[in-house]
Amino acid sequence: MSKTVLQTDKPEPQSTMQPGRPVLQLENLSKTYTLGKCDVPALSNLNLTVNAGEFVAIMGPSGSGKTTLLNVIGCIDKPTKGKVLLDGIDASALPENQLYKIRRDKMGFIFQTFNLLPYLNARENVELPMEGRGKSKEEQTKRAKELLAMVGLSGREEHRPQRLSAGEQQRVAIARALANDPAIILADEPTGNLDSQNKQGIIKLLGNLNLTQGTTIIMVTHDSQAARNTERMLLLKDGKIMKEMQGLHANKKKQICPHCGAPIQVTDEKCPSCKKPIYASDELFSS
Amino acid sequence: MGIVSRAVRNISRRKMRALLVIIALGFALSIMISIPAGVLANEKTANAVSSNLSNLINQTGATINQTLTQIDCSLGSSFSGFGFTAPSGTSGGTGTYGGGGYGGYAGSGSSSSGGGGFTPGQFGGGTVGGYFGGGAFNGGQANPMNESLYTDINSSLSGIAAVEPVLQASEGNNVTRNLDFNGYSRTITIRDVTYTIEGVPLTSDLSSYMNQILPTNITAGSNLAVGDSGDVLLSENNSAYFGAGVGDSVNILGQSFTVVGIYSPSSVADTQMLYLNLSDAQAITNNTGYITSLTVFAQNSGDVSSVASEISALHPELTVTTAQDKESALSTEESTYTAALANADASDSQTNSTAIEEIVVVVLATSLIVLFVMLYTVKERTKEIGTLKAIGFSNSAVMTQFMLEGVLLSMIAGVVGIAIGMVAAPTIASTLLPSVGAVPRGTAGATFIAGTARFGALSVATLTPEIVLLGFGLAILLGTLGSLYPAWRAAKIRPAEAMRYE
Repeated sequence: MSKTVLQTDKPEPQSTMQPGRPVLQLENLSKTYTLGKCDVPALSNLNLTVNAGEFVAIMGPSGSGKTTLLNVIGCIDKPTKGKVLLDGIDASALPENQLYKIRRDKMGFIFQTFNLLPYLNARENVELPMEGRGKSKEEQTKRAKELLAMVGLSGREEHRPQRLSAGEQQRVAIARALANDPAIILADEPTGNLDSQNKQGIIKLLGNLNLTQGTTIIMVTHDSQAARNTERMLLLKDGKIMKEMQGLHANKKKQICPHCGAPIQVTDEKCPSCKKPIYASDELFSS
Repeated sequence: MGIVSRAVRNISRRKMRALLVIIALGFALSIMISIPAGVLANEKTANAVSSNLSNLINQTGATINQTLTQIDCSLGSSFSGFGFTAPSGTSGGTGTYGGGGYGGYAGSGSSSSGGGGFTPGQFGGGTVGGYFGGGAFNGGQANPMNESLYTDINSSLSGIAAVEPVLQASEGNNVTRNLDFNGYSRTITIRDVTYTIEGVPLTSDLSSYMNQILPTNITAGSNLAVGDSGDVLLSENNSAYFGAGVGDSVNILGQSFTVVGIYSPSSVADTQMLYLNLSDAQAITNNTGYITSLTVFAQNSGDVSSVASEISALHPELTVTTAQDKESALSTEESTYTAALANADASDSQTNSTAIEEIVVVVLATSLIVLFVMLYTVKERTKEIGTLKAIGFSNSAVMTQFMLEGVLLSMIAGVVGIAIGMVAAPTIASTLLPSVGAVPRGTAGATFIAGTARFGALSVATLTPEIVLLGFGLAILLGTLGSLYPAWRAAKIRPAEAMRYE
């Protein structure tokens, strides 16, 4: 993806969010699945606070509870115990007929398999979450076109998903996640189904969204390249946060080499000046 | 992007499935609307049959009443030499029928060759005389009587509703035949009748008795009417004999008459009978002042025997007969019609209950089709439902989406069903509903009813706008019923589980 819509070196974030305000607080969160007679713990006593404008990567081996955590945060799954505070609202206490509003207004979902509706074109997919929010058809279309332009899909608005590449489909999904200006973007393996070129485009796009728009992003990923382009990296194991590390974006949204401090591109594997690997995935998992 | 266009796109996305479902539902709905159409048609037919039968029953009842009140008066058997002088100049005149007998004007004997008077002279004497003499061959044939009898009976007796004077005369040729009897051989002359003139009173006081006075089965033209003169009503045989149709003129005994109509005879006795006004008949047969029979109508059936005996007392020379025997025949006919009516009613109600059963079955079947198709659709789109809920669709929005798809599908099917029904309703209705064929065929007078009552001839099973609306309403109702549960299932899908579903 050669087209970069948002410049990473733009100095001032244009976020309407106040940075530092906690948008997500997890308190003593536990989630237990019951399989037959066995209780399988997916999350146990997990505590986490994410502030507005943060870009958090959640990593961990299979079965560590990553997706469960994301689902609980996204209010599409309920915790067994503990609290989920979203923008100060206790979502874990809300009934299902209220939760959909949280999902619609506070959350934006990005899926590994994109999950676009195949019978709707790109614009219509982006308009979908805006339904039921009292916006006129024209406003919805205008907003959808803006968002599609922002993710680099100007001129492809009327294409159906099957006529878009995987990367383009994920861009549409990102635009859809942004439609209602959510407090948090939840991304579940957003690069998992993409080839390396498309993957880098998506990594760049998410990074730029966070840097320039101040979008809060919580991303579950297996991909170290995707993970290091965040501010915080959480390593999840057995339903607990085992390790927390700083990402490349941690240094005031500047992209610099952690070894020599030289400016780097988000997609660089090695520092262009000191030639050291910028982030080794081994490092994260060697605990 | 509205919910409706999403539903449309979802349906068109699975074209083959939608097509199959629409065809299946369309046929079911066409059955559903054809059945009420058939029921309506059936009711209409049954009503027509009922009213036809009721009319027939009433008519038969009226005929029975009139027959019961009817008293036939005539001058017994024709005895040659009875003392009646035949008018001169007519065929079969005095010469041939010796003894002043009036044999020439034979009645409508049941045999076409009957009616000729025999000259007593020819058969006189011996054993033969005993058999042939005295006009035994003229049995049942009326002899002319003076018209004064009519006035006499009409004015002097009570309990009489009307008196119908009739003059009957036959026209034909004398045929000579050899006759052997007990070794005796005789040459006799008999009449070969070509037509019989029935002079009937076309007077206003008898206007309510015209159905009995005149034939009713008119096949061409019209019947004689009160006051007609110079007109003739021919039987089909007469028409062939004269070679004349309606509007033509025919020559009867030297006088020209206009044919007003042609009737189909109801019995062998009238095959050669043509009807004229009494006064015309009297004039052309030179019988002015004479009649051959009187039919007296008593005011009610209870008076018949007293009136009959009064007539006998007043004029002992008259043979007075009442038509009791006709009554039983007519009663049988009446009971046949009554039974047919009951059959038609029973058949109608059976049709209705069958229709209800069939509609229940079709409604169930149709709902099940929608149910299974929508359940399958929901299962197939579990992931999509999860996505929709994750991006903020409420349960009710998801439910509405799937309900709408089901309803839309059945609405399209409804249109297809109505289209099929427009063409096939008569066939479907007659296949599915028992016919009203319970009306007896071949019974006199019932044939035409049977013709209209055959359910197979169901061009009447047409779709009224009400039925079309009903069908469309049913389609929507079934779509709603059938997709209610699947849509509820869809709404209840938990997004986390849906996301894991592949």
